[in-house]
Order: sequence, then structure tokens, then C-alpha cells
Amino acid sequence: MNVVTRGIKNALRSPIRSGAIVLMLAISIGLVLAMLVARSSVESKISSVEATSGTLVTVSPAGVSGFAGGGNPLTSTQVAQIAATPHVASIVPSLSDQLGTSDTNLVSSLQLGSFGARQQRFDSTSTTTGSGSSTVTARPAPTPRISVTGTTDPNSISPTGGTLTISSGSTIDGSSSSDVALVGTSLATKNNLKVGSTFTAYGQTTTVSGIYSSGNTFLDSGIIMPLKTVQTLTTQAGAVSSVKATVDSSNNVNSTVSALKTSLGTAADITSEAEQAAASVSSLQSISSLALAGVIGATIAGAIIVLLAMIMVVRERRREIGVIKAIGGTNGKVIAQFMTEALTLTVIGAVIGLVLGVLVSGPMTTSLVQSSSSSTTSTTTPGTRGGGGGGFGGGLNQIGSNLTQVSAAVTPQTFLIAGGLTLLIAIIGSAVPAWFIARVRPAEVLRTE
Amino acid sequence: MLAVKNLTKSFNSPSGKVTALSNVTLSVKTGEFASIIGKSGSGKSTLLSMLGALDVPTSGSIDVDDVDIAKLSAHKQTAYRANQIGFVFQHYNLIPNLSALQNVMLALEFGGTPARIRKVRAEQLLNDVGIDTDQQMRKPSRLSGGQQQRVAIARALANHPAIILADEPTGNLDSETGQKIFDLLHDLSRSENTTIIAVTHDMDIAGKTDKTFILKDGKITTK
Ligand SMILES: Nc1ncnc2c1ncn2[C@@H]1O[C@H](COP(=O)(O)OP(=O)(O)O)[C@@H](O)[C@H]1O
Ligand SMILES: [Mg+2]
Repeated sequence: MNVVTRGIKNALRSPIRSGAIVLMLAISIGLVLAMLVARSSVESKISSVEATSGTLVTVSPAGVSGFAGGGNPLTSTQVAQIAATPHVASIVPSLSDQLGTSDTNLVSSLQLGSFGARQQRFDSTSTTTGSGSSTVTARPAPTPRISVTGTTDPNSISPTGGTLTISSGSTIDGSSSSDVALVGTSLATKNNLKVGSTFTAYGQTTTVSGIYSSGNTFLDSGIIMPLKTVQTLTTQAGAVSSVKATVDSSNNVNSTVSALKTSLGTAADITSEAEQAAASVSSLQSISSLALAGVIGATIAGAIIVLLAMIMVVRERRREIGVIKAIGGTNGKVIAQFMTEALTLTVIGAVIGLVLGVLVSGPMTTSLVQSSSSSTTSTTTPGTRGGGGGGFGGGLNQIGSNLTQVSAAVTPQTFLIAGGLTLLIAIIGSAVPAWFIARVRPAEVLRTE
Repeated sequence: MLAVKNLTKSFNSPSGKVTALSNVTLSVKTGEFASIIGKSGSGKSTLLSMLGALDVPTSGSIDVDDVDIAKLSAHKQTAYRANQIGFVFQHYNLIPNLSALQNVMLALEFGGTPARIRKVRAEQLLNDVGIDTDQQMRKPSRLSGGQQQRVAIARALANHPAIILADEPTGNLDSETGQKIFDLLHDLSRSENTTIIAVTHDMDIAGKTDKTFILKDGKITTK
């Protein structure tokens, strides 16, 4: 029997009280772990969002957004300028256009709907503008158009930012100038197009190389062609309506954006995903700091539980402490014995608490993330798309909906930190009692009253 | 040889300064059995706590074999208590959640006895004071007052102390049991040549000791 075994033995001396202390400790340690898990899960989500989307910079001609607005497309000189900007690792230029009924034999798979009708109410095929008053009624019933994107990299159209899913056939070479196309699955179904089928676009026969499906109704109603082909067919040599530039490192995004703003001047609007991602993850960041506050709060609560329990124990065994000192026990030995006792209670509490923490960390992380992100996610009606960064838009909207998909992962590292905090709880919790122990005068044991 | 010179102890209590011992001088030879008698509050326990280095005197000296224990460092005083002194208290003061055997082993641990021989030595000590193997395994609460005091005496003897200090060791026992405990202490002082200083109320007991000191209001009067 030594100091340690005596400490452990004492921890179990009054089972009901020890049980109550252990239970309270288990709850606070469980909370520590759950909050740590929530924090590390949210943090890793933040860094993955920042890492995957952080280096993309979108350049679009000033005044143009999607198919809306006005102004001039970017010229080949400007595109070359963007590519030559320091830290720009690669660029994907694209040119968006729309096919009307006179340009193609294809029928749009989109319903015009009230939204589409409203957007096309200014269109007029009539040239009789002389009187001015009758032009509105002379306009034929509008039809939805088919969007065409010319790009050097079809994958840049993917809404998730990854590879575009080709459901049949093969992808196209974006750098070629042949009359080939990838057709969205909805449009293909509507027009009975298969791999190898042909259709007319801008009066030119075009072959279907593959059919893609992105899960986005608007995208799946469009056509993707090589950039040069679209430039030739629309007689806009070298013109580009959007450039996606990838910066070599996320640290250089801000400097690259300002370099581009200087070199392109008022000709272009520049948006970086880093800015937008930062705005999107701000709710996650507040969850992360909330979780950190939770970790600190639960650790303090645990330490106070140990502290109060040990003060109670020391007061109760004051005489026993005096006796141990009177028969030759050193202060150090008595303190070590009580610290072992505190540590034993904490360790038992920690074992139960960590199991508890693992069980609740999943649901707790999910509910934390969902309750705070619900206000930031938005729903888009299928088939419509606001003026995005150009063409089919970027993968940015996806960040918002992915934010709630934070999975709680209990890593060994989290466990280690929780273990360290547990130790801290025991040490802080027994430091003050240790001071009380040191102050017990052995002469008190001779007092009989 | 224990020599106390001009020992004074005063306490600062809320109601002012209390002088528990004033200018006490006495000496006890090695192997002697001395008793201290006096009314309640006369300073008997205070004197024992000074002799056992449980507290430091306000002034004066306590020489144990020519070492003034009042001047030792706190650490050395602890070592002195562990090795040179054995305490026996009126309320036994055994550790409640340790068995009789473990209580004795605890004192052996503090005295520096190697772990592997502690058990054998503790059993020997308990047998010597009349605690059998079955009783040795029991917690104090399952022993009678007399048995608990025997365990306390075994604990006090554990490290072959030079002096045993007993504060009313028979105060909580009936006269027959008290007599047996006294006889036990008396035999020890003879066989082990241990100096024993016992506080008592029992004049019969005091009459059988080698020397008796009478304390009155913190001052000593030898008979
Ligand atoms: N720690 C203390 N603080 C204040 N007064 C004390 C303290 N210890 C003892 N006294 C006082 O010293 C006197 C002697 O006490 P004590 O030695 O316990 O007497 P006895 O053991 O003879 O009954 C009493 O008046 C007591 O109140
Ligand atoms: Mg007393």
C-alpha cells in the first residue's frame, strides 16, 4: 500500500458521493469532447472550403452578367494579359451565347414560364418601329432559348467545381475548333439526341460527342462546345465573356485580384471565390468560436466540480490529515494522496464522459451547424439562374448548400486534447485543496473538543 | 535524555493572548516512564505537542539527546516525528478506511521501512500488543476501544521510537481495559527501554510511574 493506492482507495470511500461527483464530471468532460469535436469538424470544413475554392478568380466583362447586361466581351489581348499576370497558374476562358429558333433546329427543354416570359418581354423580331406605338402588340409569342457555352475546359462548367459528369459518349477537346458539342441530358431527351446525332447550330451541322448531367436543370438544358468553335460560329474571334483564372496559392489571391484590377481597369469586373467563401464560412466560424467557448466553459465547470468536491473531502478529513502528519507523513505525501484521489475521480468521470461525448458529438455538431446555417442557404427554382459569374456560372452556389454537410469526426487528436483538459481539470481542481492540506496543523489532533 | 528548558507557548486567540505554557523546565531520563497530571486546560496537550514537534514553542528549548528539536527545519521535524516519536491519542486516531494492519504499515512507510518487510513487521507488532490475525484485517470501526488503542500503540512502536507520547491513552476506556493498556505501555518501557511520557487523569496510574509532573495554569510543580 502506498500513496497512490491509498488515494484510489479513498476515492471509492463513499460510493454515493463519489458517484455523484463522477457523474457531474462525466457530463462536463463529455461536453468538452463534444465541443472539441464540433470545433475541429467545423474548422476542417472551413479549411476545406477555403482550400478548394480559395484560388479561383473570375473575370467578366464590365456590365455583363450571364446573358444579361451590355458592353463588350473581353478581347484576346485582355485574355492573354490575364494569363500573363503573375501567380495566375491557369485560365479557362469561355464565351456564352444563346440559340434562338432561327439559329438552330433544336427545341429548348426549358418551359418559358412566367419568369422566362418576363425576361424576354423586350425582345422584338419586328422591324416596324416607325410609329413606335404598335411594336409591343406586333411581337410574336416568345420561346425559351438554348444557352451555349464555348469553353477550353468543359469541366469548368461543373456546378460542384469538379469533373463534369458525362452520362454517355465522351467529352470534347475544348482547345479544338471542330463542330462537336456536349449536350445537357434534358435537352438531349427533349430533342431525341444520342451520341453521334447531329443538329444545326448557327447554320452549321454539329455532332453530339457526349451527353452530360449536372443535376442542375438550367445547365442540363444547354450545350457546351469548344471555345474557338463558338467564337467562329458567332463571328466573335477572340472574344470571351468570362475568364476563370486559378491562382497558384490562396495567399496570392488578393494581390492577383488587385493586379488584375489595375491591368484591366474598367473593362472588367473581378470576383474572387476567396472573398465569397470567406463570407459563406463566417457562420461556420461563429459556430467554431461558440464551440471553443463551450470547451472552455465545460473545462472550467469540471475544474470547479473537482475543486468543490476536494475542498469538501479535505474539510471532512482534516483530523485524518493531522494524524498522518503527526505520525510522520510529509506534506508532499498527503497532497499526492489527495491528488491521486482527485485524479481517480476525474479519470473515472473522463472514461464515462468520453463515451458520452462520442455518442452526443455527432448529433450536437449537426444541430449546431444546422441551426446556425439555415438562414444562409438559399433555394433556386429549377431552370432559372440569376446573373452569375458568367456563362453557366461558377460552383459558388454549391458552397452554401454544402455548408450544412459537416460530419463530426472524433479524431485521436481530439481525444488527446480532451485527455489533456481532463488532466488540467484534476490539477486545477486539487491545487486549492492541496494548499488547505498544507495548512493543516498536526497539533490539532491533540485537541479534544 | 529529554531536557526541556524555559519552555513557553502562547496562542493568539480572538479573545487575546493565551499563555498555555509558561517557563516550563523538566527532564526525563531515557527509558523512564513519566506521567503528567493536571486539570483540563492546564497545558498538558500543549506540552506534548511541543515534545512531539507537532508545534513550535514561543521560546525555550527541547533537547532530545542534545539536539534542540524546536530549532529543526519543518522537514527535519517531520522526520523526527516519523522516527523518534510514537504518538498515542485519547481518541486512538486510526485511519478509518485502513485495516489495523494497514494502519501500522502506514507508520512503517513513513519511517522508511522497505515495502517488502512492512507486512511481516506490522504483524509482529500487532501480535506483541495482543491483536490476533483475524483482528488485524479489520477496520478500526470493527474493533473495541481497547483493541483500537492496542493497534495505536503498535503503530506508535513501529519505528522503534526514542519517546512515546501518550495523551490520556486510557481516557476513553473503562478502568479495567485502561489498566491493561497502561500495563502494556509499562512493559514496553521496560523491555524496549523506550522513554514514555503519558498524560493521565488517573491518580492510580500516575502513582505507578517513575516520575509525575503536575501542571497548573501552564506552570510545572514536581511532586
Ligand atoms: N491552538 C490554540 N489556540 C488558542 N488557544 C489554545 C490552542 N491550543 C490550546 N489553547 C489553550 O491553551 C490552554 C491549554 O490547552 P491544552 O494544552 O489543550 O490543555 P489540556 O490538554 O491540559 O486540557 C487552554 O486554555 C487552551 O484553550
Ligand atoms: Mg488535553
